[in-house]
Formats: sequence, structure tokens, C-alpha cells
Amino acid sequence: MRRLILPLAAIVLALLARGAPAETILTPQGPAEVYARGGQFDLVEVLRLTGAEVLFAPAAGSYGAVLGEREVQFTPGGTLAVVDGKLTALPAPVRLVDGRPLGNAATAGTLLGALGWTLRQGGRGWELAALAGGERVTVSLVRDAGGTLLVVRGTAQQPRIVAVPGQVGLLFATPVALAEPIRPDGELLGGELLGPQLVLRLKQGVTVASSYPLADPPRFVVRLGSESQVAVEPIAAGRPAGTLVVLDPGHGGDDQGAHGPGGELEKDITLAVARATAARLQAAGVTTRLTRDGDAGLALAERTALANRLQADAFVSVHANAYRGKGVRGAETYYMNVDASDADAAAAAAAENVGAAPDTVALILWDMAHVANLNASARLARSIQDRFNELQGIKDRGVRQAPFVVLTGATMPAALVEVGFLSNPTDVKRLTSASGQDELARVLAEAVLAFLRDREAAADTGR
Amino acid sequence: MSRHVRVAAAVLATLVAACSRAPRPDGGTAPAATPEPAVISAVTLFFPGEDGLLERETREVADLAAPGPARVRAIVAELIAGSQQGRPAALPWAATLHAAFVDRAGNAFVDLSAPPEGAIEGTADEAAVVYAVVESVVANCPGVERVQLLFDGSEVATLGHLDLSRPLAPRPELVAP
Repeated sequence: MRRLILPLAAIVLALLARGAPAETILTPQGPAEVYARGGQFDLVEVLRLTGAEVLFAPAAGSYGAVLGEREVQFTPGGTLAVVDGKLTALPAPVRLVDGRPLGNAATAGTLLGALGWTLRQGGRGWELAALAGGERVTVSLVRDAGGTLLVVRGTAQQPRIVAVPGQVGLLFATPVALAEPIRPDGELLGGELLGPQLVLRLKQGVTVASSYPLADPPRFVVRLGSESQVAVEPIAAGRPAGTLVVLDPGHGGDDQGAHGPGGELEKDITLAVARATAARLQAAGVTTRLTRDGDAGLALAERTALANRLQADAFVSVHANAYRGKGVRGAETYYMNVDASDADAAAAAAAENVGAAPDTVALILWDMAHVANLNASARLARSIQDRFNELQGIKDRGVRQAPFVVLTGATMPAALVEVGFLSNPTDVKRLTSASGQDELARVLAEAVLAFLRDREAAADTGR
Repeated sequence: MSRHVRVAAAVLATLVAACSRAPRPDGGTAPAATPEPAVISAVTLFFPGEDGLLERETREVADLAAPGPARVRAIVAELIAGSQQGRPAALPWAATLHAAFVDRAGNAFVDLSAPPEGAIEGTADEAAVVYAVVESVVANCPGVERVQLLFDGSEVATLGHLDLSRPLAPRPELVAP
């Protein structure tokens, strides 16, 4: 009790001393005062009531709240949030007033919902509560010709997979409830719900090979494999000190990506190149993480979310290209685009403060808030393409902009590189040979290092 | 339908109209309703080119629909009909056009049959499919600035790489100069 009273007394005294407007919110731990003004709550204070860690990222100009495995990011002036890497519309914009990000109850509720909490006005005033599990799911084991599958029925959600030796965690955006206890069966030793995460215990040596959703009825499938077949390592939860780069080997699991003429798979090539690039970056003193370090399926939004969670300094998604014309070859690098016409529409709508397409406007506001990252992304893409152009026999296809899902919502400089065409006989030799992959990794590592060096030099000179 | 077939059909229609003048009770012949001559319009379509960029292909179309959903449908139908100059198909599956509509914000929505798995591989192929439709519709449909692709009546997040959850504006850098 004393632990509760003392902080509350301190808050009350502090508020009395500064005369700050406040609103009382009932939490499971008791009433708490948060800054509120004209129906607008201090979102940082509200989010912290859940126990979330809330930080401001100056480089991105955005706030990030992390609670367990859940994360939400939002930017003052915008009406979009990034929930686990996926753009989500907010009911009303976040405004920066006196250095505080303020939002109305609906906006606070949306941000809280992303963390598994809800804010509602009851008979006793504002109440903060953890979301109860809505969907009731069952977990069963199914065997097919390809091996063993864990099937989660009763939800259309695509949970994030967190695999460690001996268990797999399914992290749901909206908490679920178990319709029945999980019974041991074969490779499945048991399981339980821990907050938003469904933890399934597996036999020794068993791990996740891939995962994917299915429809009619909606269900989520996790294909199991042996650790000798796949080596899935979760990305570290905490951010290591120093410069950090996240490399994303494109595709994986059941998503094979493009196919070469001899059955070569894009997902294997991207993993090999990303691994070799990571090794070179690590050797150069740059901490590097892979979004997948095995043949695991991973949703596009999850890849960006992992980089955001780690507050990476750069994010590079590695792909191999394909085209119907076999003569097309070469490397090309992309970064996220903002259409001039979209920007015009957003500016006009903002000026008139009237309807237009709210999603478009919000998206552009988000883009505009991240214009610094956009410029840096362009420099990263240019650095990559320039190094690839130096490779003997490689054709320069240039730096381009396109609306890639995996680059949407990234809160750091981000680029996607197509290292060559699997549909071209010349390129495919380089893409599939160990020496060719090592050569691609060398130039990609050099490009990232050059980008990081230039960035530090710019920071030193105040550019 | 090729241009030659269309021209032949127009000539045939004129002959049939000329031969079917009904005799009047007074023994005279009713004045024939003069058939409107077909109005020929030039449209520019975009097909995958040899260097991974889209290439322009201009053709003449008879009685092109007025700007609006019908024009969008007509343009996509021409695109589905394929290149007349030997270029690869813009939509590399037996695509059918379910519907097309236009909103007041200048967005066109084109609902196609979904491509089978494996029909589109790689970013370059995917961009060719998506932007062949975007560029062709915007180039020929006044008032349309962006295009969103729907498949089998539903919005899709992506075909693998590109964000298709919102209308897309043309990207001239993906078109051969």
C-alpha cells in the first residue's frame, strides 16, 4: 500500500505545484492522474500506465511504446500509427502542445488497444483495463505428407512467431482465449496463454519450419521441422549498443519467391547473401541482425516491425528478381516513394481541412513526417546501387522508388535491393554460386558501411 | 477484336441497314436512318518491354466510350486483348475484367480475376503487371489520376512485394523513354 500511496502523493503534489490540468484514470493498480487538456490526454502518460516503456526517437521524430512483444509508434502531427510494423489509422491526429503529444480518448484507445489495453468512460470516470481475450482458439496437431503441422483454429489473425529451442510463441495482435486446454500430442508437449502470447512447448529438437494463414474456416498453421533442418533464431529483444543494421532475406518458408531455371529458389539465395553480408558487417564492428536466419515464413509487416523494435540505423531487404524476358538482367535498388500527386492532394486537403481521401492524406502526413528518413533512404539506395555497379559484368538498372510493403512504416533509412535476375542465365550463375553470393555480399556490406560512414560524417559536420 | 475485323463489322452493319429499308403503305420507301460513322480514337497502352520497362503501344479503337467507368473498362479490355506488336501479355494469366468504377477523387478501381499462384514472380514482373494497368488507364481516362487493383472483388494487400492497398499513381520511371 505504501508503495502505491507515496507515488500518488508525489503526483498530486507535483500537479498542485504546477497547477497542471489533469484527468483521473482508474487503473488496475488504483487511480492515477495524467495530464489532460480540453479532452486531450498526454498519450505518453496514458501509455505508461500500462507499464509500457515509452520513448521518443529524435531521428524519426516519433514516439514508440513497447509492452512485452507489442509495439506501437506514432508521430505528432500525424493520424497514423505503426502497430508492429503495420500502418493503422488513428481516429484523430496527435498534436504536440507544450512538448506533450496530446490525443483524444479515441486516439488514446487505439494506441492502447495495440498494446492489449482499453480506455473507456464508465460510471466511475475513465477506466483503463487489459483487453479480455475475444476469440476462442483451439490448437491441434495434424500430420500430412510434408510433416507435422500445428493448427490454431478460431482466429483469422496472423500472429507473430517467436521461436526458441523447445518452444514456439504465437504473439497475437488482439489477445485470444483458449477454448480448451492444450493436450500433449506427439511433438507438442503442451501450451498455455501468457498475455497476448500463446506459448507452445515442443519436443527437443523440434522447431518452426514455416507458418501461414488459411481461410474457410480461418486458421493459422505452423509447420514443424527439426533443428537440424532449420535454424530459426529469434531476433534479440533488446537493442544492442552502437550501430545496428537489420538485413531482411526476402521470402522464406512456404513463400519461395522466384524460381531459377534449375529450380533455384529466391528464398535460399537471399538468405545466403544476407548471412554473408551480416558476417562481413559484424567483422567490421557493426552489429547486424537478420529478420530470419533460417527457412522460416515471416509476414512483410513483421520484418519492418522487427527493425523498428530494434531502432535499427538501417534496414535492407534483399531480393532476387525475375521477369518474363530472359534477356533482362542486372541489379536495381528501391526505396519508398511519395507520389508528388499524393503530396499535392494531401496539401490541398490539409489546407481546406476537408474530406479528400483520409487514408491518403494520413499516409502522406506520415510520409512527410519521415521525409528525413526518405532522404536518407535515397542515399542508402544510391550507395548500394553504386557498389553493385562496380561489379564486373553487372548491369546497372538504377535506383528507383516504388511502394514496397516491406518498406512501409520503416522508421529508419530503408532500401530493397534486387541483386540480380533469376530468369537470366548470366545472372543466375552469380546468384547461385558460392563465390557469386560472396561477391554480392561483399559489395552490399561495403555499401552499408559507406552509408553509415557518410551519415556519421554528416552528423559531425552538422549537415 | 482486331482493327480489320472491326472495320469489316462496321461495313457489314452499313450494308444490312441499307438493304432493310421497309416499304411504306404508300409504296414509297422510308428514309433510311443514316448510320453514325464509327468514331476512331487512338489509345496508348503499356506492355512489358524487352528491358524490363513498360513500352507504349498506340492503337486505334472504334467508338471509344466516354470518360468514366465505361472508358476504364474499354481500356483494360484492350490491355487484356494483348499486344498487336508481339509484346508479352500485360496480365500473364487468363485474366477477366469483373468490374471497373471511378470515384470523385480521381481514383479508378479495376477488379480483375485473381492470378493463379506462380503466375507472377519477381519485383520486375509484378511491377509490369501493376503499372501496365495503372499507366494505361491514367493515360487514356481523363480525370483518373490513380488506379487501385482489386482481385475477385476484394482489396489485396500485395501480390508479393508492392503495396496494393491503396490507389497508385503512374511511375514514369518504369516506362521506357
